[in-house]
Amino acid sequence: MKIDTLRRHFREAYRGIVKNSWMSFAAVGAVAVTLMIFGVFVIFAVNLGSITDEVGDNVSMNVVLKEEVTKEQATALTTKIKGLPNVNEARFISKDEGVDEVKKNLKDADFTRVLQKGENNFLPNLIKVTPKNVSVSKQVEDAVKGLEGVEGVKNSSTAKELLDSVLLFKNIILVFGVALAVLAAFLISNTIKLTIIARRREIEVQRLVGASNWFIRWPFFIEGGFIGFVGSVLPIGVLLLVYQGFVKMISGGSKNANLLQMVGFGDMAMYLTGSILGIGIFIGVFGSVLSIRRFLKI
Amino acid sequence: MIEMHDVWKVYPNGIEALRGVNITIDTGEFVYVVGPSGAGKSSFIKLMYREEKPTSGVVLINGVNVKRVRDWKIPHLRRKIGVVFQDYKLLPHMSAYDNVAFALEAVEVPTKQIQPRVEEALELVGLSDRMKALPSQLSGGEQQRVSIARAIVNNPGFIIADEPTGNLDPENSWDIMYLLEEINMRGTTVVMATHNKEIVNTMRQRVIAIEQGIVVRDEIGGEYGYED
Ligand SMILES: Nc1ncnc2c1ncn2[C@@H]1O[C@H](COP(=O)(O)OP(=O)(O)O)[C@@H](O)[C@H]1O
Ligand SMILES: [Mg+2]
Repeated sequence: MKIDTLRRHFREAYRGIVKNSWMSFAAVGAVAVTLMIFGVFVIFAVNLGSITDEVGDNVSMNVVLKEEVTKEQATALTTKIKGLPNVNEARFISKDEGVDEVKKNLKDADFTRVLQKGENNFLPNLIKVTPKNVSVSKQVEDAVKGLEGVEGVKNSSTAKELLDSVLLFKNIILVFGVALAVLAAFLISNTIKLTIIARRREIEVQRLVGASNWFIRWPFFIEGGFIGFVGSVLPIGVLLLVYQGFVKMISGGSKNANLLQMVGFGDMAMYLTGSILGIGIFIGVFGSVLSIRRFLKI
Repeated sequence: MIEMHDVWKVYPNGIEALRGVNITIDTGEFVYVVGPSGAGKSSFIKLMYREEKPTSGVVLINGVNVKRVRDWKIPHLRRKIGVVFQDYKLLPHMSAYDNVAFALEAVEVPTKQIQPRVEEALELVGLSDRMKALPSQLSGGEQQRVSIARAIVNNPGFIIADEPTGNLDPENSWDIMYLLEEINMRGTTVVMATHNKEIVNTMRQRVIAIEQGIVVRDEIGGEYGYED
């Protein structure tokens, strides 16, 4: 495309936006709201991604063995569990090893003194089992429960529940976001429709004198894309500011950083800007396509 | 050259606007198309600039079968043909100059060439001093001259006009006729549907008469032949 032509297309697109300024404004607003919600989703999704990774690690379950199970039986049982489908890893932890582990995890806090090895050790023998992934942990749990010598299974369900609610939350935002995106595309398509109607005579003349179909279409694509672009700028700005605040607040506070490990600002800025801008322009161009196909008879 | 071989045009509502038309118009000819209202003149003209496709038969423009032209190539076909209408089809918010420039812009003529070509076209139609005027500030005859300037600015081989003097008084009609004649003298083929008896009978060009979708008369130096 010639540079003159390109400049002209942008000029025409701009003219279209200014002419239907109220409708364009509404469309920009709809895109902005959509992308704001989408951006919140991205922030959660990216951060939850790292949280679910952690939860995923913790999804391993403790299989508590009955008191009478001997060390030899326990080793055999461990091998057996290892051979089950969907099991990634199984490790026997004796009562005494358990004491060490607890003390290590709790950094030898005072109350761990009640834990003693030998005769008075009230911890059970256990086998730590890690399923291949979170989604099969229930199956693994059921399979292990039925084995001889198993008293019960601990730990797995809470992790799974947490994970489930996290995923559900993600899906709710996603569905909501998609619905809004459709609405925004529809609003854009409506403003483009108005521009097409306002330009009916111009389009007729263009066809008559032999303008190519793409020459006629381009300004409408640019108009839609531009609405999408402008609609992305505001949410990007707001979300980045808010996120920066959060990151400061959380890392600036106590040594809780481990509890809620947030993705760094730089990475998040990249994800957010890229995805919001991309989706904004996509919604805009998609809205144009809807109208061009329906109303621009060339 | 425009050729039609056994051309039928049947609209979706079943009306047979053209019924077996055979015609050849050579390069450089001047042709009047006459006939009563509803005879099929406009349909005949629309087939030439591919506004309508023939239902059956073949329409050739410079040997190209318009029915076979791919959709995306139709614009290139249209660049060879300038079209003029009874109602001018000017853009009301643009000056005479911009209306003509619009046609050059639409076919992506380099910006540098636009001004000289627009000025040349407006000079040819005698509107050099009205370039800045909006259509609403121009008389009907002047508006039609702007539309002719727009039709010729791309140097098409054909000018096709559907009742270009239909809204004009006799004096303005004659101005438009002289203009089209001059354009024809420069080598452009002109096909013009008209109801203007006086003009047809005075100019004595080739006359094609259509009635009820059939060519009933085709004579060089013919007369209008109807009493309107
Ligand atoms: N787009 C159309 N759809 C249906 N019928 C049409 C259409 N255009 C023209 N006609 C009909 O075709 C016939 C010829 O019309 P037209 O070619 O406009 O004749 P003319 O220009 O000689 O008055 C008329 O009966 C008219 O009503
Ligand atoms: Mg007609």
